[in-house]
Amino acid sequence: MTVDVYWRIGMGGDHASLRTPKVRNRGDWGGVGPGNLAPAVRNGQSDGYAYIDHAAAVARASEAAGFLGGLLPSFPGTEDPWALSAALARETTSYRFMVAFQPGFLNPLQAARMSASLQRATGGRLVYNIISGGGGPAQLWWGDQVAHDDRYARTSEFLEVLKGVWQGEPYDFDGRFFRTGGAALPPRLAGEPFPEIYFSGSSAAAVNAAGLHADYYLSWLEPFADLERKFAGVREHAAKLGRVPKFAVRIDVLARHTEEAAWAEIEKGWQYVDPAVATRQAQGDSVGAGRIKGWVPATITGYRDVEVQPNVWAGFSLLRGGPAFGLVGSYEQVAQRLDELLDLGVDAFILAGNPHLEEAYRVGEEVLPLLGRARFTRPVPARETVSTR
Amino acid sequence: MTRYLWDTPTSGDGRRADRNRWDRDGFGHLHQVIGAAELAGLDGVVVPYDPDGDEPWIVAGGALRDTRHTRVVVGFHPAFGTPVYAAKMSLTLQRLGADRLDWLVHVEAGAEDEVRRGDHLIGAARYERAAEFLTVARGVWSGRGALPGGFDGGEFDHDGDYFHVAAGGFDEAVDGHPFPTVHLTGTSPEALALSAAHGDVHLFTESEHGLWPQVRALGELAAARGRTVRAGLALPVIAREDEDEAWARVLRLWRETDPAATEDEVRSRGLGDLRFDGFDRIGYRTPIGLVGSYRQVARRLADYVAGGIDTFVLSGHPAIEEVHRAGEHLLHLADPAGRTLTGARA
Repeated sequence: MTVDVYWRIGMGGDHASLRTPKVRNRGDWGGVGPGNLAPAVRNGQSDGYAYIDHAAAVARASEAAGFLGGLLPSFPGTEDPWALSAALARETTSYRFMVAFQPGFLNPLQAARMSASLQRATGGRLVYNIISGGGGPAQLWWGDQVAHDDRYARTSEFLEVLKGVWQGEPYDFDGRFFRTGGAALPPRLAGEPFPEIYFSGSSAAAVNAAGLHADYYLSWLEPFADLERKFAGVREHAAKLGRVPKFAVRIDVLARHTEEAAWAEIEKGWQYVDPAVATRQAQGDSVGAGRIKGWVPATITGYRDVEVQPNVWAGFSLLRGGPAFGLVGSYEQVAQRLDELLDLGVDAFILAGNPHLEEAYRVGEEVLPLLGRARFTRPVPARETVSTR
Repeated sequence: MTRYLWDTPTSGDGRRADRNRWDRDGFGHLHQVIGAAELAGLDGVVVPYDPDGDEPWIVAGGALRDTRHTRVVVGFHPAFGTPVYAAKMSLTLQRLGADRLDWLVHVEAGAEDEVRRGDHLIGAARYERAAEFLTVARGVWSGRGALPGGFDGGEFDHDGDYFHVAAGGFDEAVDGHPFPTVHLTGTSPEALALSAAHGDVHLFTESEHGLWPQVRALGELAAARGRTVRAGLALPVIAREDEDEAWARVLRLWRETDPAATEDEVRSRGLGDLRFDGFDRIGYRTPIGLVGSYRQVARRLADYVAGGIDTFVLSGHPAIEEVHRAGEHLLHLADPAGRTLTGARA
């Protein structure tokens, strides 16, 4: 089995680098200031480019650098991944669009129609990142009132219906959350490859819900011992269901030609971090991807305080929005850590770094070759996909 | 200004009357049609909600990315998902497409489609849900409070019969992008009432008795609420250099499915004013449309405009050829003001 390696697209703009973590000058999500691009300012006016023009560049860079595709995350204050994927479908040839979505937001037959059409538009390059929801106020922002464990039950029903209608045979379903009567994809849309499923969530409810459907259990990076325990738990749940799970990990990467150069980047960004905010976060004021409580000292005085094991750094979310953990080090060190993760049983990586465009080339050119290209799944141009730009 | 939109063939396209004999399909073809509409000067394309066809949101995303001027009207049903999600996808499409997205909300999609989707709502309740859907979608669009790139809650709350939102709102992410123009359809009292309260454009179709009574009824309902709803018309067209050539095309298509039909029989389906009732028998979705020379059809379009129609959804197959006929021969006759170069030569 080869390893699938993806690269993220920032969905709410991007920074020129982590040296300026408070400035999102790529796209207009953080306003349009000096040095902005997509849009840039010419003669005092916005030049009419939009963030998608930069996102397209990131997708093309990821493809050129040898990544299989990219994760398009979804949050209240970001672009929508279905819309962005549909718009970018024809501008790449092998790039797989990993669309993050929550099953509660779309009717499953509608999701099946959208997915099948996106498969037709991309030549079969859609991948799912199914999220059942972190809960809290954001769920109600989205208009979703269903409780945590019920959301996993809903995810399970949703995927059952989606698969049920996919091949175009009439399908009846009468569940707690969804009903269909003779539903099916029309002949035009039926028979496309069913997207691979990356499933976020590793609680018992998540594993049970994913048992019949997930291809990959997707986790944030955590200290390796914790990841190992998490994987063991998932394996145990899955074994009861007679399945052998595959694992994927999301990892931010800051790699340079030397370890010192890598930490020097962090140090430059760290001057913008408010120590009080860092300590508050260390003591547990965030959840999900940003959670670092218990892994770092209760009081954070410097950036090396949150290096929880060699090259594993929990401070990314203090610099910019997104997950806390990532790898910091030389190209060789980062490659070695990725290698160790492969030894733990990881089958796929979703890597990321700011700025996403240049770092895609850097990681593709400097880090992945150290692991050996032959270990990674080779991107294959999609059938019948026309590049128009 | 009058808008001329084209109905996108998301469930195949071809020369023949019988859809089973069509062989144009898929995204490559859709982009050819959309590109034809853009180059031929159409004002936009409608991507209809068609359970047999490609999914409109996906088609719309590609269409907006691939064009500069074309407005893209995405068709969907209010039970497709949550109004927050419809608004969320729309915001990205407005951002990436320079504010060219519009909505066509199909409240009635047919009994078969409703059963398939597990939608057991019937009658007037469907219009109540649609009204709530539009209220919530507009509410989160203009609701303040959610920070770009993060989440800290907004100020829009809604606790309705069908949808619930707490601390919602897109706030700064909207940044001046307009909410899509809402197109609605239907002739029932509920349909007209929904448009009067929530619609921006109501798309009518021709009928044997004409469409003006309905247009007037909608105008009165909207005025009673202090609103104006623009009137649009979905209209199949077969226009050629002269009238005989146009009718010859109709006759040729008709005889593909009914070889024994005489010319008189086919022509007897004319309703006057160039209207022909039988387009649905020759591969079109809508039964009544216009047949005539470019000049005749252009005059009729101008008459509709004079009566208050400001949006046309024209249709014809095969679409690429018919779009070019419309752009090159018809629209500048119907709407010379906006389609004649003024001032210095380009």
